[in-house]
Amino acid sequence: MIENSTAIEANNLSKTFSGGLAAVSGLDLSIPAGVVYGLVGRNGAGKTTLIRMLMGLLRPTGGTGRILGRDLWDSDPSQRQRIGYVSQMHKAHEWMTISELCRYLWHFYEKWDQPYARSLAKRFDLPWDRQIGLLSGGQQRKAAILLAFAARPEVLMLDEPAAGLDPIARRELIDETVDVIAGVSPCTVFFSTHILSDLERVAEYVGIMDRGRIVTEAKLDDLQNRTKRVQVVFNSDAIPDGFEIPGAIRTKVEGPVVTSVVRMVSETQLDELHKRPDLRVNVFPLGLEEIFIDLFGPEARGEFGDMRL
Amino acid sequence: MLHLQINPNSGVPVYRQVMDQIRYYVASGLLTPGAQLPSIRSLATSLAVNPTTIVKAYSELRHGGIVEIKQGKGAFVAESGGALSESQLRSALKQLARQLAVEAAQMGASAELVMKVVQEELQKVRHD
Repeated sequence: MIENSTAIEANNLSKTFSGGLAAVSGLDLSIPAGVVYGLVGRNGAGKTTLIRMLMGLLRPTGGTGRILGRDLWDSDPSQRQRIGYVSQMHKAHEWMTISELCRYLWHFYEKWDQPYARSLAKRFDLPWDRQIGLLSGGQQRKAAILLAFAARPEVLMLDEPAAGLDPIARRELIDETVDVIAGVSPCTVFFSTHILSDLERVAEYVGIMDRGRIVTEAKLDDLQNRTKRVQVVFNSDAIPDGFEIPGAIRTKVEGPVVTSVVRMVSETQLDELHKRPDLRVNVFPLGLEEIFIDLFGPEARGEFGDMRL
Repeated sequence: MLHLQINPNSGVPVYRQVMDQIRYYVASGLLTPGAQLPSIRSLATSLAVNPTTIVKAYSELRHGGIVEIKQGKGAFVAESGGALSESQLRSALKQLARQLAVEAAQMGASAELVMKVVQEELQKVRHD
């Protein structure tokens, strides 16, 4: 990834918990300023640990993580106020109302935008004067999003921001994110999610995390353009020994049908197949959700280190 | 006004979905040469997609001679652009036809039936 300056970076970042669990192991990351980066991975892949280390809330056992050039573990508030964060468990300040919390927070954030906070509350349909602890789980999440956005940060770190939100609230979150990235001052957005269709709307880059590592990282357009499902149907039931679709990452065989997830590296990759008289070739686009299931689903096996594009 | 629809799950990059739909609107005459396209920001907001996606769609369309970017004014359908060449039509249709062919084969429909249904649908569209 080139382009101007780097907003978020990690070098060999690792975290092994005391029980010996390596939640993040030797992870490298380099995210240019102004882009939207979506992080996906199964539960337990290490996404939250990664985000918490980048936020300086968890001490790495190895390597370094930086946001806007600083390691947040030992940086001062002036640095932190440039970064907005929505965590998975936002339990603090339950006794305060959103209005009180805004008044409290604006002392810590130079660019705090109170009119924006109010307009977000309206848009998210949030009661301005009710204690946060009395709000529903989804509303508390929206309140956390409001607080992160209203600080007008340069970097937004969102750990599953859409979890627990209904479809309308999710769309509002997307709309707000689009507004923020289309705004005058560019904002870098890093978010983890399980809702891949949301990611496909807004992310320019996607990273797929598994067992503490980023196993695939690409521009979303490239990943979609280059990953296809290719189905080969043989005219006879017998599939020739050693038959393989060029570029196959995963293959499934059912009777005379061979189906593979294929990494397309050239236009001519399937030409030989198309010419063969003993089979038919069908090529289908693959949504991110399907790519993900193909990589991690029950029938997935083996390593995919070579998926890195 | 332009009515674009995107399907984020389809596996087709969103910028391509936007491009294709604008190209079809131009080819069909619903968007005429000189017509102004929505601003990047308003289209991104209405489709709820990243603005860079729209930037990419517009710049690819400009590359293909379908759209002109006028400094400070926005994006417009190019005067010369418009009709798709036969080879462009062919390649766009081929994708759609292939999908139909695959599904028809899976249903066990005969080629005659497929042709008949396609012709009926073409008739309907022309009468509308």
